Amino acid sequence: CSEYQKVLKASGEGATAQKFKMGDSLYNAGKWAKANRILGQIVPEYRGKPQAQKLMYLYAQTFYKMKDYYISSYRFEQFATSYPKSEKLEEASFLSAKSYYMLSPVYSKDQKETKEAIEKIQGFINQFPESEYLPEANKLVQELDFKLEKKAFSIAKQYSDIAPGFTRDYTAAIKSFDNFLYDFPGSSLREDALFQRLDAAYKQAVNSIEYKRSRAEGIVHIRKERIEATKEYSSSFLKTFANSKYIEQVNEMNRVLEEELKKYSTKS
Amino acid sequence: FNLQAQDLPYNSNKKYPIGKIKVQGNTSFAELTIINFSGLRKGQEINIPGEEIGSAIKKLWGTKLFNNIEIYLAKIQNDSAYLEIRLADLPQLNDLKVNGVKKSKIEGVIKDNKLKKGTKVTENLITTTKNFLTRKYKKDGFLNTKVHINTIDIKDSIKTSRVNMVLNIDKGTKVKISDITFTGNNAVSDKKLRKAMKSTKKINRLRVLKRSKFIDSAYQADLSSVIDKFKENGYRDARIISDSLIYNDDKTISLQINVNEGDPYTFGDIKFIGNTVYTDRELSNILRIRKGDTYNGVLLQKRIADNSKPDGNDLTNLYQNNGYLFSSIRQVEVSADDNVIDMEIRITEGKPAYFNNVSVVGNDKTNDHVVYRTLRTRPGGLYSKALVVRTVRELGQLGFFDAQEISPDFKNPNPVEGTIDMEYSVKETGSSQIELQGGYGGGGFIGTLGLSFNNFSIKDIFKKEAYKPIPMGDGQRLALRLQASRFYQTYSFQFSEPWLGGKKPVQFSTSISHTKQFLYDYINRRADKSRSFNITGITFGLAKRLTVPDDFFTLSNAISYQRYDLNNYNTGLFTFGDGFSNNLSYTVGLSRDNTSVDPIFPTGGSKFSATAELSFPYSAVNGVDYTALKEERNENQSILGSVSSTDLERTNAQNRISEIDQERYNWLEFYKVNFKGEWYTEITKNLVLRPLIEFGFLGAYNNDRGVIPFERFFVGGDGLGTYSLDGREAIQLRGYPNQSLSTQDGGTIYNKYSLELRYPITLKASAKIYGAAFVEAGNSYNSFKDFNPFNVKRSAGLGVRIFMPAFGLLGIDFGHGFDNALGETGKHGWETHFIIGQQF
Repeated sequence: CSEYQKVLKASGEGATAQKFKMGDSLYNAGKWAKANRILGQIVPEYRGKPQAQKLMYLYAQTFYKMKDYYISSYRFEQFATSYPKSEKLEEASFLSAKSYYMLSPVYSKDQKETKEAIEKIQGFINQFPESEYLPEANKLVQELDFKLEKKAFSIAKQYSDIAPGFTRDYTAAIKSFDNFLYDFPGSSLREDALFQRLDAAYKQAVNSIEYKRSRAEGIVHIRKERIEATKEYSSSFLKTFANSKYIEQVNEMNRVLEEELKKYSTKS
Repeated sequence: FNLQAQDLPYNSNKKYPIGKIKVQGNTSFAELTIINFSGLRKGQEINIPGEEIGSAIKKLWGTKLFNNIEIYLAKIQNDSAYLEIRLADLPQLNDLKVNGVKKSKIEGVIKDNKLKKGTKVTENLITTTKNFLTRKYKKDGFLNTKVHINTIDIKDSIKTSRVNMVLNIDKGTKVKISDITFTGNNAVSDKKLRKAMKSTKKINRLRVLKRSKFIDSAYQADLSSVIDKFKENGYRDARIISDSLIYNDDKTISLQINVNEGDPYTFGDIKFIGNTVYTDRELSNILRIRKGDTYNGVLLQKRIADNSKPDGNDLTNLYQNNGYLFSSIRQVEVSADDNVIDMEIRITEGKPAYFNNVSVVGNDKTNDHVVYRTLRTRPGGLYSKALVVRTVRELGQLGFFDAQEISPDFKNPNPVEGTIDMEYSVKETGSSQIELQGGYGGGGFIGTLGLSFNNFSIKDIFKKEAYKPIPMGDGQRLALRLQASRFYQTYSFQFSEPWLGGKKPVQFSTSISHTKQFLYDYINRRADKSRSFNITGITFGLAKRLTVPDDFFTLSNAISYQRYDLNNYNTGLFTFGDGFSNNLSYTVGLSRDNTSVDPIFPTGGSKFSATAELSFPYSAVNGVDYTALKEERNENQSILGSVSSTDLERTNAQNRISEIDQERYNWLEFYKVNFKGEWYTEITKNLVLRPLIEFGFLGAYNNDRGVIPFERFFVGGDGLGTYSLDGREAIQLRGYPNQSLSTQDGGTIYNKYSLELRYPITLKASAKIYGAAFVEAGNSYNSFKDFNPFNVKRSAGLGVRIFMPAFGLLGIDFGHGFDNALGETGKHGWETHFIIGQQF
């Protein structure tokens, strides 16, 4: 029977203090799981006592170190609300927010946790604008924001990537990139999004039939409309990203579009 | 409540702190507890008279523990109020006696009315119990039920007051409806009106599904159906003047319903107002009601918006399926002169709605690209109800989400801009299955380890962080299976990707398997490792979802190769003990599947598949004279069969047959055709009927070379493929032992019909359970000559299926075979089948 087991099973006078001491030293030794187990035992007994502050901090830390971020986020949050005057307040608040960050999944899955994490970290930044953790917090938010951007971008891109006859839908791609540009105005993927929108619109326009009958609007000169719209996309792209890596492709599209437009102007 | 109102006039309202509270009366509760219940406390300032005392009494009543609660002002001393609470405990129920119902039902009565020992007996309890029971028996047709409740105080030394209760229930006799008559009806016959009453029926010995009892609530609903019946026939003013219930002498009742029909009406002009998208003509083609038709309000409502059919052909759906989400349609009677009703159908079309944002939430495991490629509602697309319905169905069919919990939520409807956001909320379900089995069977221990991941992600297998606990989310399927016993081992690996390359729904699948079997000596229980039979196989398949004739069709192609290696392995199955056989075949299949919604428990749609498996026609090109071989084989066969042959001659003949068979089966030459069709129909709510028909045929290109002994059909039993030696197909036919309806070598042709009625017990994600009743018939034949689709073995039975995400499908069937299995003389009788892992 090891010392740890003995202390773990101890009860009665002095056992609690002994457990605290051992939990503390286990924590310092980096034995998170063991420390967690022993500290967890005495949490109820210290409730309301002065030593509780340190205990709760250590307890929350063990969860964080064990990568049990669901619980560590909660425990640190509790700590921050229970001891608003603690010197560890800032650290605990940050670690609580960072626990949320850790829970955020890969961009291609549901982003509920990501949105929560952004909110929490933003809350931290607002509360401690001078914090030493600020650079890291900013970095984390940026990373999370980028996840949301990448998600929206990939979904939009898939609409134009899929083979014709299946879920390929240029209208959906254009609309999705529109929404993307509106939702993430400062995105680092902006150039790509603008190009992808143009690309989808271009492919849709040049492959269009001339006229379309629609219930709501009657006969629409759909090809001309689309080419004109695409021309606008290409002009706005060229204006914003004159030195783009896509410049050659865009110039080529632009040339074709202008030629197409000429046909319509001579006809009418 | 008694606050000495005489002594303290109400307007002398004054505040006093409470000095002391005393409790008096017959109670087993501690004084402090009761004071706590009352909410009053020492030192509290209260008005006397005032509402604090009133609320204290209310609180005490609220505990449902006391009776006769009163609060007195005992005295006022030093400007403090001294209160006294007087109350008595409510009596507790000690013993309950129930008379007049069967012993087995008493438990139910106690449970329904919460009449446990120790319950506080209040007036309310007695009244509600009485009412509840009276109503309950009336519902079952005991119209004359009387319930009496007596309580008897117990006087003994125990302080708490207790009572015994006696429940006398006199159900009387069951009352049936002997007759329902109508007066005042000329246009609609009594018979038709009686038919319109769905739950109130008169006695009819031939009717089995509905009883002729009288239930008031159902009767009231039926009365309005009677009125609807008149309305359907143009009598829109019809009403019921009176209805009476007459008790007859013979424990029956008669219902007499007196109606006033009013005049018949017809439709007059029907005008459409507000329609710009569709012409009057198009709309009236859907309405299908003309001027001069008998007025029928029920039909009119159905043609405008049929609430019973979400995909009905009505005006609302015409607009809703073509983008007009914000449209609304109202019918208005503009005049009713001379019993001709002119109608106006007022349509507010609104702007056509386009989807703006379309999103999916809740996909914690499945990657976006797998989900979004399934969506039929896309940003920028025109709103359509039908597409939403179809998307929900197809998300359910992916098998990654709980089909019962997919909900399409409309967000941010904007009638001005004509946009709507769509959010599909899904819930992941466990789609991996683990099978770990150890069992005793086939003469020894058999261990099985099976892993099946239905939503695998192969690209993540080298990413450490993706292991939670396995890489998931790309919709791929990976299955591994190891099975071993003392005399055989099977290894198999399967992988499939539903969208090869991510651009098209072309499913790629591959499987590799290897089986090694040693000759088993059943007497010594030893496997002879020097004599073995190995089968190694590999399959590649591509299945493409088609877009024509519609996109429920799938065309599949597969190439498979199998090698059978025999090493001194002589059993009855093969005439050559040392040798080999190759099976290279191409399979083409066309299938259509539009079953919906839950793949485990489909409630609608149908599934068809037709496949053909072909080998290369070697005999046409390899120049071997199979006719000669056949003759030679027959000669040798007759030597074997002849009594006059010597042992040496027999051995030689046997060896020669082996050689010939090796020649015939070195490359298997065959074609095989399968057809299967099944339909799902929801008969009433949740009750699903599934008819199924199956047919299979195995043939040879060259009749002299003969039909191969592999790839055959084995009809009978649970239809589970046990370790398959030779590409055999096990065909389920319950009520008979496994493979008992085919000859030892298997049939070359089979057919099967089945009718199954299913009813779900629960369809929760954690476990889906349904019960089934089935009748089946089928048979296998050795050649087309014997084939007779009506010469079938019949069976019927009952079963249960349980689907749990982690274990797959489990089930048990009890089938009764009405005919004889092969080798039996009488009918087979009952047979129990355990179903493990077989989907659908």
